[in-house]
Amino acid sequence: MSEEIVSRVSNYLTPQVPFKAIAQGAEAVVFTTNVHPYLPAKDSNNKTYVIKYRPPKRYRHPSIDRSLTKHRTLSESRLLAKLFLIPGLKVPQLIACDAYNGYIWIEFLGEDLPNDAGFSNLKNFLWMFAPSDPYDPIVKETLIKVGEQIGLLHWNDYCHGDLTSSNIVLVREGPESWQPYLIDFGLGSTSNMVEDKGVDLYVLERAIVSTHSLFADTYKEWLMHGFCQVYKNNGAEGEKKLKEVLNRFQEVRMRGRKRSMIG
Amino acid sequence: MPAKTEKQLTRKKNPKFSSMALISSLPQFPDTRISLRLFHNVSNASEIRSKVAQLPYAIIDARSICSLEQVYSAIYRALVESKYGKLKTKSLHSECLYSLSATSNIGEAYKNFGIKDDSQMLLVIQIVDKDQQDLQLQGDEVPLNDENLSQNCDMTFIRKIYKLNEFHSTSTIEISRAVVNCIQLRGL
Ligand SMILES: Nc1ncnc2c1ncn2[C@@H]1O[C@H](COP(=O)(O)OP(=O)(O)OP(=O)(O)O)[C@@H](O)[C@H]1O
Repeated sequence: MSEEIVSRVSNYLTPQVPFKAIAQGAEAVVFTTNVHPYLPAKDSNNKTYVIKYRPPKRYRHPSIDRSLTKHRTLSESRLLAKLFLIPGLKVPQLIACDAYNGYIWIEFLGEDLPNDAGFSNLKNFLWMFAPSDPYDPIVKETLIKVGEQIGLLHWNDYCHGDLTSSNIVLVREGPESWQPYLIDFGLGSTSNMVEDKGVDLYVLERAIVSTHSLFADTYKEWLMHGFCQVYKNNGAEGEKKLKEVLNRFQEVRMRGRKRSMIG
Repeated sequence: MPAKTEKQLTRKKNPKFSSMALISSLPQFPDTRISLRLFHNVSNASEIRSKVAQLPYAIIDARSICSLEQVYSAIYRALVESKYGKLKTKSLHSECLYSLSATSNIGEAYKNFGIKDDSQMLLVIQIVDKDQQDLQLQGDEVPLNDENLSQNCDMTFIRKIYKLNEFHSTSTIEISRAVVNCIQLRGL
């Protein structure tokens, strides 16, 4: 990570907020800290918070850069705020948003998986079960719940925009039970377009096929079971919309195949 | 740990600091002291109200406050806006009140969060680096904590002003979190 970004962030956060970098994407840098931006320490002890920072891009004109940063920071925060209101949908809580400077504070979710299997996102979770028990009932239950989360998102006319298996974080709810949360809404949007939904599903399918190809058919089936259930719970209207999404998903898939055959 | 001792000392030195007040500073603003006090059974709200513009406080009708998280989240936003030259009102205190609001209409913010002639519960916010002045507020100061806020606030009113009438949850924690979202995003 560039020295310049680290010093910028540490100036902004002050020495009172120690931080650690955990990820650097094309657009944002993600840090964790144990300091809550405004709640008294006794209420927030030992918790971790995520700080997502969009640094200025030198190749952009400064005023365009400022307005883009503000726009993207806000759009992600707004989405988190709206999604929080949807019953059953699980997204991290927004803690603070400083759109002018490009900072978002969100609640940290997930944990380290046992036996050094890495952070509890869906990708690592599936890796963990792959060698011993790829069809473990916990895997099934979890994938159905993942499908439900995506179903809830789409049914309410939101799209994720980057639905990879690392952007699905599993939060432990019991010794044998995990609740999937969707994270990283940097490319998310409100959308009632079946195209965007079809693409979300396709992106996730590709992510699973590419990392867990042997079990992908069963995994997809479980995911889609959860997904469809949400739509089917919404009567005739749900069935109708489900058909539209599934048809478009199939179309997106065909397009993807053609592209990979040519390219 | 040293920070705590210092706070306790300040409290002892200054008799006007009530022990029920919450005095703290936010990590990114270590030089700014925030004092919060909660009063019930206030009997002279109209008197306070008539001079509220001159008082170095933000005086909030606690009916609209359900949690400390709500209050601190608004103060945090006001401090950030102040630091980066984005204040929308004339002082840090009025900005704290304004920051509680879900809408960008300042008049509405005062209507929903400001002191009224018949206010009975008041939350007094003071952001300073000097000592607290005498408030001359007649009422019972009670410990400021989540219980004292949530048990006495007007949830129906809070849902209304933050446009959360449709929100499915009745848990204070969840409502408080939805409120924080509104506070962080108001007017942006
Ligand atoms: N709320 C959170 N709880 C736990 N970990 C998180 C959280 N948010 C982000 N992370 C971690 O940080 C990584 C990057 O975050 P995020 O995807 O939001 O940033 P990004 O820059 O958009 O990344 P990318 O471009 O790689 O998708 C995530 O993959 C995850 O491991």
